[in-house]
Amino acid sequence: MTRRVCVVGVGLSDGPVTPDMNGLMLEAQAFQRAVADAGLAKADVDGLASAGYGGMHEVMLAEYLGIAPQWLESTSCGGSSFELHAMHAWRAIEAGDAETIAIVYGNNQLSASGRTLGTGGGGGRGVLPHPMGYELPTGLTLVGAYALAAQRHMHEYGTTPEQLASIAVQVREHAARNPNAMYRDPITVDDVLASKLVADPLHKLDCCVISDGGCCIVLTTEERARDLPHRPVYVRGAAAAMTHHSVHSMPDLTRSAGAVCGPKAFAQAGITPADVDTFQMYDSFTYTVLVCLEDLGFAPKGEGGAFAADGNLRLGGALPTNTDGGGLSATHPGMRGLFLLCEATRQLRGAAGDAQVPGAEIAVAHGSGGWLSTMGTVVLGTEPTR
Amino acid sequence: MSTAELSPWDEMPKHLGPWPSPEDREFWAGARRGELRIQRCASCGLHQHYARLLCSHCGSLEVEWITASGAGTVHSFTVVRQNGVPPFAQCVPFVVALVELAEPGARILAAMPTVAPDAVAIGMPVRATFRSAHDPELGFVDFAAADVGSRG
Repeated sequence: MTRRVCVVGVGLSDGPVTPDMNGLMLEAQAFQRAVADAGLAKADVDGLASAGYGGMHEVMLAEYLGIAPQWLESTSCGGSSFELHAMHAWRAIEAGDAETIAIVYGNNQLSASGRTLGTGGGGGRGVLPHPMGYELPTGLTLVGAYALAAQRHMHEYGTTPEQLASIAVQVREHAARNPNAMYRDPITVDDVLASKLVADPLHKLDCCVISDGGCCIVLTTEERARDLPHRPVYVRGAAAAMTHHSVHSMPDLTRSAGAVCGPKAFAQAGITPADVDTFQMYDSFTYTVLVCLEDLGFAPKGEGGAFAADGNLRLGGALPTNTDGGGLSATHPGMRGLFLLCEATRQLRGAAGDAQVPGAEIAVAHGSGGWLSTMGTVVLGTEPTR
Repeated sequence: MSTAELSPWDEMPKHLGPWPSPEDREFWAGARRGELRIQRCASCGLHQHYARLLCSHCGSLEVEWITASGAGTVHSFTVVRQNGVPPFAQCVPFVVALVELAEPGARILAAMPTVAPDAVAIGMPVRATFRSAHDPELGFVDFAAADVGSRG
């Protein structure tokens, strides 16, 4: 019989602002906490995944942590990397290539680089080899890339800035319940629309925060999980897809790769969108959430805006989304994909505190990387897929 | 806007490119000559921008350079209001558009320095304009409203 795979440990570093910590320190702190949370010792970890730095980062991290994993994973496809790590870890443990895998990420993005990531801070440094040099001379920013896509969605489906803003408002409500969130004061749709336009139609409050922070999750077999302190959280499905690298080559600005990997992961898990109790969605921008609400089947194509504006994303709504305050309000240290898996696990343990979705049995983490380029969907559950 | 005076767009520093490779030098060199150079697939007849070894539509190796008409429509756009990198920091707000070229299969991302933020719309007819780069043999492709005079 196939071995079942569970998330047994989660850990967050200090945050969201840690000027005295570098990336490795944030990773090590999250790792130490996740392994302790799992009731394991670091020597039990025989697989390690990480992404976001240069080549061989996961090897450097293993050395720093003082572990010698036999399974290494460094898929680096942007913020969704960690959903792909979970997909690969699931299959590796299932196949017996590894017993216990830690997925780790940490970055002092804010303290090291300030808030310029979205507005040109990544540009103008060194030679971009063909074919990567077509965007920079136009002055398009990272925020602008998402804005291009959002603008087209507004044109085709009548999506409004108010509908986009409603996503930021609801996620902020959840941040108010998270003492470690970067911004916790309530906001209104009018506040979002009154905030500075960064790249039309996206305002400052349509954009995620830039923070410091680290995260780690630990996965192992169901058999081993039985002896560990927490209720195991099963990996029920995991799939990935991509559509393009740079936004100029996105085949359809109103349809993301989530339309491929979302239904695939749901099918593996034997669920439909209606079965999902909480959605942990990579909210780099409000539009990222909106398009994925449609592409994963929570709303018909073109109706994601209305679905969000109806209040479905808040606690008590049909699809409580980003219950930790998300990237829009809580934490976004350069990449956020791993934090989605952590919050999904906390929800399914019933350990999400003031933001608990009562009786949550199925949680979906959906990561987005690059410029809506790469996506990964992971379905977690309190019970395994039958 | 006066078309004679130099704008920050005409003073792009070397580090913002272009960085031509043997594969795509023709695009940037064509821009300096006032030509929009893209590729057409002799096998499927579709076009592509940027230059590749193979056709991104059908996979054929029979790709050839052509001079595009320069005509297109705005598929989507944004108004960049915040960009910290010079000279863009001096250009904001400005329009960047994803342009659907008249030649089927090809889109191009381009700045539209002569189009006011409140004058751009999806579906708007546009045409290619050309701007000199730091390298005297290379240029950039911009787009402008189809119905106004040539810039520069």
